[in-house]
Amino acid sequence: MAAVNRPAKALGVETGLRFADAKSRAPDIVAEPIDRQADKAALKALGLWATRWTPLSALDGDDGLRLDVTGCARLFGSEGALLSDIGERMEAGGLTCQLGVGPTPGAAWALSRYGPGKVTVCRGDQPIKQALKDLPIAGLRLTENTECLLRRFGLTRIGQLYNIDRSALARRFASKNAANAVRLRLDQALGLIQEPLAPLKTPPDYIARQSFVEPLVCGDGIAAALTGLTETLCTKLERDGCGAREFVLMAFRSDGAASTLSLSTARSVRDSAHILRLFRDRIESIDPGFGIDLLTLAAFRPDNLQTEARHLSADLAPEPVDKTALAALADRLTARLGEGAVRIPCPINTHDPARAETHIPFEGEAGDWDNALLACRGDRPARMLGRPEAVDVLAEVPDGPPVRFVWRRMSRLVKRADGPERIAPEWWRSFNSSARARDYYRIEDEDGRRYWVFRDGLYSDGRGGDPRWYIHALFS
Amino acid sequence: MIHSSRLTHWVLGTNIEHMIDKRGLTRLAQPVAGLRDDAATSAFPLDLAKAGVHEIVEGHYGDTGAATGFALAALRDSRAGVWLWIYERSLSVDQGRVTGLGAAGFGLDPARFLFVEASSPMEALIATEEGIRSGAVSTVITELRDIDFTATRRLILASEVGGTPSLLLLPHTREGATAAHARWRVSPAPSAPNPFDPRAPGFPRWTAKLERCRSAQNQAGHRFNLEFDDEALCLRLVSQLADRPTASDPASPADILPFRQTG
Repeated sequence: MAAVNRPAKALGVETGLRFADAKSRAPDIVAEPIDRQADKAALKALGLWATRWTPLSALDGDDGLRLDVTGCARLFGSEGALLSDIGERMEAGGLTCQLGVGPTPGAAWALSRYGPGKVTVCRGDQPIKQALKDLPIAGLRLTENTECLLRRFGLTRIGQLYNIDRSALARRFASKNAANAVRLRLDQALGLIQEPLAPLKTPPDYIARQSFVEPLVCGDGIAAALTGLTETLCTKLERDGCGAREFVLMAFRSDGAASTLSLSTARSVRDSAHILRLFRDRIESIDPGFGIDLLTLAAFRPDNLQTEARHLSADLAPEPVDKTALAALADRLTARLGEGAVRIPCPINTHDPARAETHIPFEGEAGDWDNALLACRGDRPARMLGRPEAVDVLAEVPDGPPVRFVWRRMSRLVKRADGPERIAPEWWRSFNSSARARDYYRIEDEDGRRYWVFRDGLYSDGRGGDPRWYIHALFS
Repeated sequence: MIHSSRLTHWVLGTNIEHMIDKRGLTRLAQPVAGLRDDAATSAFPLDLAKAGVHEIVEGHYGDTGAATGFALAALRDSRAGVWLWIYERSLSVDQGRVTGLGAAGFGLDPARFLFVEASSPMEALIATEEGIRSGAVSTVITELRDIDFTATRRLILASEVGGTPSLLLLPHTREGATAAHARWRVSPAPSAPNPFDPRAPGFPRWTAKLERCRSAQNQAGHRFNLEFDDEALCLRLVSQLADRPTASDPASPADILPFRQTG
């Protein structure tokens, strides 16, 4: 038995029991095979949903969540209100939960799992020692063996450890590791050692949130709320004189799910109308389910906003390109067509035509084309095929240009040809020695179509059989 | 240039030509050279890549290269700014992609290109309209599988509002009604004689048939024989008579330069 609920516990079924034993104690017991992966995924989703209370949320083992609510209680009125909100929402989602709040993660862990009530609070101004005194040793997050050892010494309560001399305690353990673990966990619980939290998601640099008394069920409501959110966020950004390059809209549903819309911009922005426009077309993709009761809009990757003076008229502009307008257009296209849809060509310093150019996502600046590089590259075709296509060629052996070739089932007669342009393989990159030198030819067929074909290898170059022909590009 | 005497030079889009055109003095702009294409008037480009929406259709299957070259040559005379080149992903698998290096061969700065990859025809149209309306780019070029009348009408309206010209590159199957200002059907033609090597291809030549034209109805159906000079980097009209076989060419420089650099 991996987990049991309360009625089952009342019948004497415990975790760790064999299924047959459990069946004998409670013959009518309903059981399902455990799916640890699905559990883990569900817990992670719940952890993301919990970012509605605090941006710092992390998973804790297989069945717990850890939230750093420092400074967050204020948003809900008080710590008590925050706790009751968490409790109510969890219950509404059909989850039973035990809550514990403490000044240190260790204390909160012990209080939530072994606390006397359903909700156990140790406020910051109360002594931690007092709160943890009566809790069992198991609340210290120790391994089973260590716990067993402590119990043998007669130490069952955390409070009993307070007065034992540290070195005396260590001497009782055979292994140094176990002794260290006890000391470490105790110090962590008491706040003598810091325990950092690795959040599920990086906390945003700027965030705006709006909760709703009545859950939103349609896109129009979300759009209206988003207007307010972007304005709040942009005011915050403006106060610090910066813009951001990534925006994430999270919609928290009342049934414990959250959907996320994220977009990135080519340059940093803080124009609320622009951000709103980027989100507007995609709002429909949010599934409101039974209603959305909280929306947050977060800004990531903040950066100094590059402001540019507007020219009085286009004639006076030194550069004909309005970079801001261009970046705004790229953002809109990216929002509509998906990440990386807008690209700029960028040269690569190589002789291999297949790799000579790459398309990189547009980031507000044009590619860096070196004139010298262009000049030495010679005559290059207007259209490159994605990958070279094999063609059947009739050509003079060993290195004559094609006379006739069949490409895509059409036979073409070559009228004129120019070449070869020999491009040797880049031995310093190719890890397989089978790469062969290519002889490129510019050829023209009887109708005037111009192609770029190559012979992959030379005759008797000792790298495989007879070379094959490929078509690589189309000239204009 | 070597064949200057036999060709009617036409550097497209020079300011003077434009001014003369505006004043209605087109007659004066006509070249004096004797061998002239009969219907070639100074209005030849018909605002290609300067205003409105133009369709550039490939003549037959496999003529994409010629249509692309025609579009790239037209871009030389577009106004300053970035060229937004939109293509459908599925189409690029079949026909390949335009490269910055290839565009550089037309005297175009590759840094001025912005490529957009659309995964469906609808997305390509959305991107085109967005680009035209934004007014942030010089020209919008779109490679499409097909387009219907309504969509062309939409693009025309957007172009009138934003003032951004648009070129639509379409496959040979494109037929039927269109709202576009003009439809050019471009096929390749045997290239110009290469003065350095008679066996090698020379300057690319194309035949552009003006299938439909709203601004100059009388020119519809006319064929323009074009040549792109990739040394002087200009597109010019070629007279029929100039296109003589290379045999009549006097002493070719190939005799003087027996060795050529082959890269």
